[in-house]
Amino acid sequence: MIKKISALLLAGALAFSLTACGKEDSVTPPGGNAPAASSGAASSGSGELTGLTEAFAEGPVLLTTGGQSADYQMVGTLMKNLGMEYELNNVATSADLGDAKTLVVVVGGSSKGLGAAGIDADGELARVDELIKGAEDAGLSIIVMHTGGSARRGDLSDKFIAPIFEKADYAIVVKSGDEDGLMAGICTNAGIPADMIDAISDVATVLPKAFK
Amino acid sequence: MTKKNYITAALSLALAVAIMVYTGMNFLAARDLPWPEQGPSVTDIKLLSDWFPGLKDTNGDTWVYVLQGQKPGGKMLVLGGTHANEVSGYMSAFTFIETAVVEEGTVYVIPYTNHSAMTHNDPGEGNLQYFTLQTKSGARTFRYGSRATNPVDQWPDPDVYVHFPSGQQLSGSETRNINRGYPGREDGNLTEKMAYGVASLIRAENIDLTFDLHEASPEYPVINATVVHQNAIDIGSEGCMNLLLQGIDMALEQSPINFHGLTHRELGDHTETLAILMETANASQGRLRGATTLNQVLGGWDDCYVVSQKLNMLYVPWDENGHPIEERCGRHLQGIYEYSQAFNNAHPDTPIVYSGVPSYAELFTNADPATLGGAHLGSFLM
Repeated sequence: MIKKISALLLAGALAFSLTACGKEDSVTPPGGNAPAASSGAASSGSGELTGLTEAFAEGPVLLTTGGQSADYQMVGTLMKNLGMEYELNNVATSADLGDAKTLVVVVGGSSKGLGAAGIDADGELARVDELIKGAEDAGLSIIVMHTGGSARRGDLSDKFIAPIFEKADYAIVVKSGDEDGLMAGICTNAGIPADMIDAISDVATVLPKAFK
Repeated sequence: MTKKNYITAALSLALAVAIMVYTGMNFLAARDLPWPEQGPSVTDIKLLSDWFPGLKDTNGDTWVYVLQGQKPGGKMLVLGGTHANEVSGYMSAFTFIETAVVEEGTVYVIPYTNHSAMTHNDPGEGNLQYFTLQTKSGARTFRYGSRATNPVDQWPDPDVYVHFPSGQQLSGSETRNINRGYPGREDGNLTEKMAYGVASLIRAENIDLTFDLHEASPEYPVINATVVHQNAIDIGSEGCMNLLLQGIDMALEQSPINFHGLTHRELGDHTETLAILMETANASQGRLRGATTLNQVLGGWDDCYVVSQKLNMLYVPWDENGHPIEERCGRHLQGIYEYSQAFNNAHPDTPIVYSGVPSYAELFTNADPATLGGAHLGSFLM
């Protein structure tokens, strides 16, 4: 009799646990707790992604990477062609902010790039976090980009996306890298203006519009 | 032993000898390699041993095609066949040699950088030995080799391969991988000597720009990518952006400072050249592939990879269209063009100017899809 009761109790507990497992958890959208944007840029913050409508940033620019992919180098080449005043530093910390008034972070993880910089992913994340905190304290505008497309998605790159995009005043994203809407979702929920572009070359069109 | 047993033994022995003779002839025939025809700008064909005599009369010595322009300018080296099973690498070198018209500067092309690796293959992988393309002059047969130096030329492998001069330790089999052997060693094993020969050529000829052409399995993360030494990052950035503008999906990677033996690290560190390596996707190199067939090698057509793509297991998009040899060679050849253009922009006094080499569009996007998978590439070859 005791065995039967125990079996019934165990079966009941199992059924209860299955019900618990089957319950649909409420999903917190990525970036749901991100700080509100943005320094002068227009944004609705109402759940609809909006592009930038007003210039807010000033030079000079400190350009760095979030994840050590070489995408930041290509953005640097574009900025050079645009005649923008910038300093490029892939291992910058807050001590390197100097007289910069805008921080541009190009996000994309690369195991080869991390190797080239002699840093691991956690160390890179800590570096960028410290740099962004320093930029915020110094009142810099922060522009975040993801220009590497689908090639810069995956476990390594995704590790850098949310922590960095949540701190942006303005974001630029190549569409093919955001087919799952991760970055659009972060920007929408945090009210960060974002321009979704077709190719990295379109950075040359949208980026200058952010600068006064 | 009965008479019947003697007859059986004699027949078995004769069969064994026949098999040995047949397979031995087949193995030795692989040393008779097909070479490029002389294109319009080929002015000289030299041996790598002309730069490093230590390779003379070895199976590591290889032909170097010199394409000298009408005017002086910069100097460029193209390495095909670093890994002799990476077809688009050496077929791009063949195509460049047979089509390029060099106007300014000098281009050196080595179709089989690891010559020894081209003289055998990996039968355990079910790999092909040969494939044939219809070219302007008729049917031409090309080799499909191995990733590593022929063990007949360099054997046995140590348990641990210690790279010179860094002391980096790798699996023993990597001792026959020339792209772990740079900058090479004058008194080293054959693979190290081949690497030393390439570095000697670069130093002696003051090569400005070096390309190393590769393929990789679709499961490998660094694919459809260009890896550059830090000294070449500006040229890499500009060239890569121009490739992206043409709709060619290309990721730019900087060479890790702590991974030794590769062209993009060691040739940049130990010579003055700007070292660039490019990777395309080859289905016949992957672990998730189906049976190794000619269609898979030249067309990239493989149902197993279509399924793998749906399971999100690949680093390069894959569908029923595969990745034909024209696309893969087109990526390499357009890459060489765009990065050399970026070099010219940075060094206007010593440009490398050439024409005539088929572009990505000519080889792939503008081609009749029915001709992809070898036929269209063959139409550009002499």
